[in-house]
Amino acid sequence: MGLPFENIKRDVHVLRDESTEDGYGIYPEKRTISQKLEGGFILLDKPSGIRSRTAAETAKRMLSSLGVSKLGYSGTLEQ
Amino acid sequence: MLLLGGKEYVGIMHLHGAVSSETLEKTIKSFTGKITQLPPVRSNVKRALREREVFYLDILEVMDKDVLFKTGVQSGTYIRKLVHDIGQTLGTGAHMSELRRTKVCSLKESDRLVTLQDIDDAVFYYVNENDGKFLNYCVQNIESAIDFMPKVFLSDYAVDTICHGSPVAVPGIVKFNDFSKNEKIALFSLKGELVAIGDSIVESQNLYGMEKGIVVKTDSVVMPIGTYPKYEREKV
Repeated sequence: MGLPFENIKRDVHVLRDESTEDGYGIYPEKRTISQKLEGGFILLDKPSGIRSRTAAETAKRMLSSLGVSKLGYSGTLEQ
Repeated sequence: MLLLGGKEYVGIMHLHGAVSSETLEKTIKSFTGKITQLPPVRSNVKRALREREVFYLDILEVMDKDVLFKTGVQSGTYIRKLVHDIGQTLGTGAHMSELRRTKVCSLKESDRLVTLQDIDDAVFYYVNENDGKFLNYCVQNIESAIDFMPKVFLSDYAVDTICHGSPVAVPGIVKFNDFSKNEKIALFSLKGELVAIGDSIVESQNLYGMEKGIVVKTDSVVMPIGTYPKYEREKV
């Protein structure tokens, strides 16, 4: 038994045959670390006892030397 | 987006009195499916009875009065309340002594879960030893977080207009997953980059017969403008 959407496999339907040009954009798996830091996410194992906000601020401080200026969190654990 | 999906938790329910294992098992099972819950006094939502779905609720281990459980629930289910209500039904009373979220939507603990210490170490290796392998592991592509959503793949020529907030029309679509009307759709480039999130205004079945017309209304744009070239309509 799982959650809805967990392990969901979706069929891809092709409307027309078209490919992408390599001159712009980037395949996600080819992103550099700086590119990932511009819009990526970290799945954090937050220790109990500190706020999510504190954990996010700590992570941001660690990454600030690499140019990360914005870092937030998603998902509150309201019990 | 993650807020909308289901959650899985592992927690400890502390019983306030002795309960036979049959009664415990039976009572816990009665709290699966649709349940009605009154949000706690101190909560961030309106305090009115609301229905939530408990997809599964299993006992992992019982040690004296402590019950280790695992549960998968609809977003917005209060686990402390759920445990309290189970305690009331049992007659002994119960409270939740520990809780850990183990899944959100399609993200789970085994999907590169890292600690703050891991991040600190990864930054150290990257900065001091020019080794990015740990940091690459810690930081994931945003696309992985929304993998559970239906996707629409856009033509290179449509990407920039979507970055400007335009809705997605049929000619801009190359590939798609099935979706229904009013569903949250992830708009992807053909390279697999997340461009934006939108809401479908028709169901995907209709796409085959359509030559033009709007399919998805763009809601929030992720990709910066100018990543893809501007589409110049050819003058006829």
